[in-house]
Amino acid sequence: MPHKKPIILSLLILMIIWNGASSEAVPLESLIPLKDVPKGWALIEGPRTYTKKTLFEHIDGQAELFLKYGFQRSVFAIYQNRENAQNQIELDIYDMGNVLQAFGIFSRFRSEDRPMGIGLDSFLDDGSALFYKGRYFVMLYGTEPNPSLLKEWATKVSSRISDHSPPPKEIGYFPKKGLKPGSIQYFPEELLGHQFLKRGFQGVYIDKVGDKVEIQAKGENKDKVKAESKEFHLFVAIFKDSKEAVNALKIYKDHLFKKGKIDSRSPHPFGPNAFQGEDPYQGEVIVLQKGFHLLGIAGFEKERGAENRLIEFIKSIE
Amino acid sequence: MFSEKIERRKFIKTISSTLLGIAAPNILKVRPSLGKSEKTPNLEYRTLGRTGMKVTTVSMGVMNCSDPTVLHRAYDLGINFYDTADCYMWGRNEEMVGKVFQGKREKVFIQTKVHPNIEKKMRASVERSLRRLRTDYIDVLVWHGHSLTEEVSDRGLFEFMEKMKKEGKVRFAGFSSHSNMASLLREAAKSNVHDVALVSYNFTHSKGLREAVGLAAKSGIGIVAMKTQAGGYKKEKIGGLSPHQAALKYVLTDQNISMAVPGVTTVEQIEECAAVMGTFFTKGDLQSLKQYHSFLQRRICTMCGGCTGECPYGVPHRDLLRLVMYHDGYEKDSLLKESLQIITTPDVQRCSECPSCSIICRRGLDIRAQMQLAQELIVRPPALYKHGSGPAAGRQFDV
Repeated sequence: MPHKKPIILSLLILMIIWNGASSEAVPLESLIPLKDVPKGWALIEGPRTYTKKTLFEHIDGQAELFLKYGFQRSVFAIYQNRENAQNQIELDIYDMGNVLQAFGIFSRFRSEDRPMGIGLDSFLDDGSALFYKGRYFVMLYGTEPNPSLLKEWATKVSSRISDHSPPPKEIGYFPKKGLKPGSIQYFPEELLGHQFLKRGFQGVYIDKVGDKVEIQAKGENKDKVKAESKEFHLFVAIFKDSKEAVNALKIYKDHLFKKGKIDSRSPHPFGPNAFQGEDPYQGEVIVLQKGFHLLGIAGFEKERGAENRLIEFIKSIE
Repeated sequence: MFSEKIERRKFIKTISSTLLGIAAPNILKVRPSLGKSEKTPNLEYRTLGRTGMKVTTVSMGVMNCSDPTVLHRAYDLGINFYDTADCYMWGRNEEMVGKVFQGKREKVFIQTKVHPNIEKKMRASVERSLRRLRTDYIDVLVWHGHSLTEEVSDRGLFEFMEKMKKEGKVRFAGFSSHSNMASLLREAAKSNVHDVALVSYNFTHSKGLREAVGLAAKSGIGIVAMKTQAGGYKKEKIGGLSPHQAALKYVLTDQNISMAVPGVTTVEQIEECAAVMGTFFTKGDLQSLKQYHSFLQRRICTMCGGCTGECPYGVPHRDLLRLVMYHDGYEKDSLLKESLQIITTPDVQRCSECPSCSIICRRGLDIRAQMQLAQELIVRPPALYKHGSGPAAGRQFDV
């Protein structure tokens, strides 16, 4: 196809522009400590970089989750203790594109609130450490339990990251009272397991039901008291505009009408764009639209307390 | 009436000649689809090879699911087999499965995975899985992501699984694979050490894989199909077409498949998939798959590797095919941009100056048309136009 030669010229120019733009990013490999490692340790494998196309080779099907969260590139390395070859530390640094996505993937991996004070938020247990800072999500895994060493390593990696973006502002929407520490999660789609809710945040709260039972059950089995404590969720789904949010509210209401229950109070105390009902799996829910947000509370038992928490939540959302 | 013999023969003939050379499904009865997904599915069970486990033909791939609601819904729908892995979300996926099925353990089958390593690490991995799953046994433990025949017949791995079985931690063992699957299944059929194989299987796959699946199933291996939907296309991208049920039914027409584990993440998806049980592959499904297939044909290279090395000029044509897939299929122009970075000017020059294209796709992908689309994407990069107005716009249904 000789007539296509002018195309090639255009192509060359575009490639130069494109490559130029991409070279502005910090080389991910530079975040891997090469010589500046804890005493007695040495890099034995890597740094190996992975792209969107090759991430599957590194973490199999799990790559799909990272791609959903905007994965850009990652770098991986293994360090070994000089005295014990079996004692190794694996380091993964993922560039997730922005701080929101980095928080999102971090929130999906953290299993409970065990912060170590590194990055914007972190998690540390005997054999693993996680943190996110700016657009980066970092995972450290040790073959031998050694949290202090993992923390030392995480500190070294964190000091190399110069992205000082603040955490996603939506984390601040969630009222602190009753919030289960480390429970806020970000989902890039399918919030609460529903296609129509799209992207958003959710946080877990501990209901006060347990306290009430404790008073009634003084002197009785404490375990029973503990088991009575109830969790519920606050959630906020984020849409492109208010029209989309109103539409999602309608779909949610229709969904509960078919599969759960809808409170017949009209208008609802929270206004015309709100409803209360019973979700077959989430329990009692109150859902309302505010601007391009759909927010709500799910799984609560005490209506008054839930409403108060929701009012606080509504106020905090711009 | 479509149920009349002549019509049925015609239908069989049509489907045989239409779907990628894959043999016609052997269950071709016409029965109305359940349609509305909120209806309770008619549960359908098959035996998972030599394990003897009676599993629902539509089960659940839990991998990317993170809301327990979806699992609760799946359970209520009657689905009894759940596939997870030790590494999914660093164990959180297993934790969720364990929490949801606590108290219901004997009513479900759980499959999880382990990576080959030294015994100490593999043992630790199994122990962690058991803790997270809140159980003292794993129904099926599979090696994660085999790709070499040597792995399938590795005696060391087999011995580890035997130990796990003797210790009561694992009931049955197998392997999963995303690549080189036909060879692996043939090897597994010979080696006779695996109870289960979890393989990627859908209507775009080759006759060779189908035959290997048959061979493995006959040897007693329970075949679990994943990636059954052949991609993650959204309804709105294919003219409102919803090929997912048809794609799932197609997989299940192969009686050598014990069950499918579509990866679902929402209540709506699991309901849609579960509704497939007890239904048959219909004329409408055929039409749906034909449209989906023609959509895929023009856009999707499934990276089967069948055309590797076919370009006489050594152009990395698969990289160019990816450009079209990323733009039109995934709607991920960021991926497209990244792919462009690895395509060199001489590669594109060689391709654009070639008077004809000798690459032949075994699945009917029009390689030359794809190459032209790729070149257009390179010359007019996506930033210059919105989705739906690019070079491939409006061409999806011109079968």
